Amino acid sequence: MNKLRILLTGIVQVAILFFVSIAMNKISELLHLRIPGSILGIVLIFILLQTKVIKLEWIERGANWLLAELLLFFIPSAVGVMQYIPLLESEGLQILLVVVLSTVVVMLSSGMVAARIAKRKEKKHP
Amino acid sequence: MIVGLICLLFTLAVYWVCKRVYKMKPRIYLSPLIITPLVLVLCLLASKISYSSYNQGGKLLTDLLQPATVAFAVPLYKYFNVLKKHAVEILVSVLSGSIAAIISSAFLARWMHLDESLINSLIPRSVTTPIAMSVSQVIGGVPSMTAVFVIITGILGTILGPIIVKLFRIESEIARGVLLGTSAHGTGTSKAFELSSLTGTISSISMILAALITLGIAPVVMSFVLQ
Repeated sequence: MNKLRILLTGIVQVAILFFVSIAMNKISELLHLRIPGSILGIVLIFILLQTKVIKLEWIERGANWLLAELLLFFIPSAVGVMQYIPLLESEGLQILLVVVLSTVVVMLSSGMVAARIAKRKEKKHP
Repeated sequence: MIVGLICLLFTLAVYWVCKRVYKMKPRIYLSPLIITPLVLVLCLLASKISYSSYNQGGKLLTDLLQPATVAFAVPLYKYFNVLKKHAVEILVSVLSGSIAAIISSAFLARWMHLDESLINSLIPRSVTTPIAMSVSQVIGGVPSMTAVFVIITGILGTILGPIIVKLFRIESEIARGVLLGTSAHGTGTSKAFELSSLTGTISSISMILAALITLGIAPVVMSFVLQ
C-alpha cells in the first residue's frame, strides 16, 4: 500500500513538472522569447518555492526521480548520431578533434578561473 | 508504432542493464551514456530499423528531458544559500568558459578546414540542445547538425571531465561543478551529481548560465571572430 502511494505521488509530481514545461513553452512561444520553456520553468518553480507558494514536498520526489535518470533521456538523441554516419565517416576525425580540444579549453578556462577565485577567497577568510 | 514501442522497451532494458554494470564497475568507458547508444545503434543497423521508426518510441524519453530540466529548480532551491555565497566566482568562470567555447570552436574548426555551415553548427555545441539549436540558426549553422554535436560534446565531456579534474588537481566542488556544467550541459551535470549533490547543483546553475550567456553573446563574439 505504502509503496503504491509513493509510486503514485511520484508519477503525479512528474506530470506536474511536465505540465509546467509545456505551459512555459507555450508562453515562450506567445511572447516570442528565444528561451526554451524548460528554462523558464526552472525560474518559475524556483520563485514559487522561494515565496512559499508551493511546498518542496509537492514536487521533490518526482524531481529526484527525473534527475536520477537524467542520462536515460539523452539516449535517443545519442542514438540519433547514427543518422550522421556518412558525415562522420568523411569529416568525423576533424569534428572529433574540434570537440575534444575545445571542450578541454572550456573546462580549463572555466574550472581554473573558479579554482583560482576559490583559493583567493580561502586566503582572505581562512 | 509497434516497432516504436518495442524500441522504447528495448531502450529501457538496455539502459537498465548498463546502469547495473556501471554500478558494479564504475569505469568511464562503461558509462550508460556510451554503452547504451552503442548497443542500440548496432542492433538498429543489424535489424535494418531506421532511426525515425526507432524514435517514434524514443522521443517519449527525449520529451522527459523537459520536465527533468524543470526539476533542476529543486536542487537550486535547496542550495540557494551556497550559490549566493559563490555567485561571483560562478558567474565569472561560466562567462570565461562560454567565451572560450565560442572562440576555440571557431578557430579550431577553421584550422581543420571545415566548411562554414559546419563551423557555425559546431560553435554553440557546449550548451543545452534547445538553446544550442536556436543559436545555431541565428549564426548560420544547421540546427539538426548542432543537436548531434551537442550530444557528442555531452558524451565526450563526461569522459574528459574526470580526467581534467584529476590531471589539474581541481579539488573545489565549485570549480568541478562549473567545469562540468559549462562544458557539457546536462550530461556533465549528471556526472557532477555522481560526485556530490552540491557539485551537481553548481553544475546545473552553470549549465543554465552558460546557455543564457551563449544565447546573448554568440552572435556578438562571432562578428569579432569573423573579422
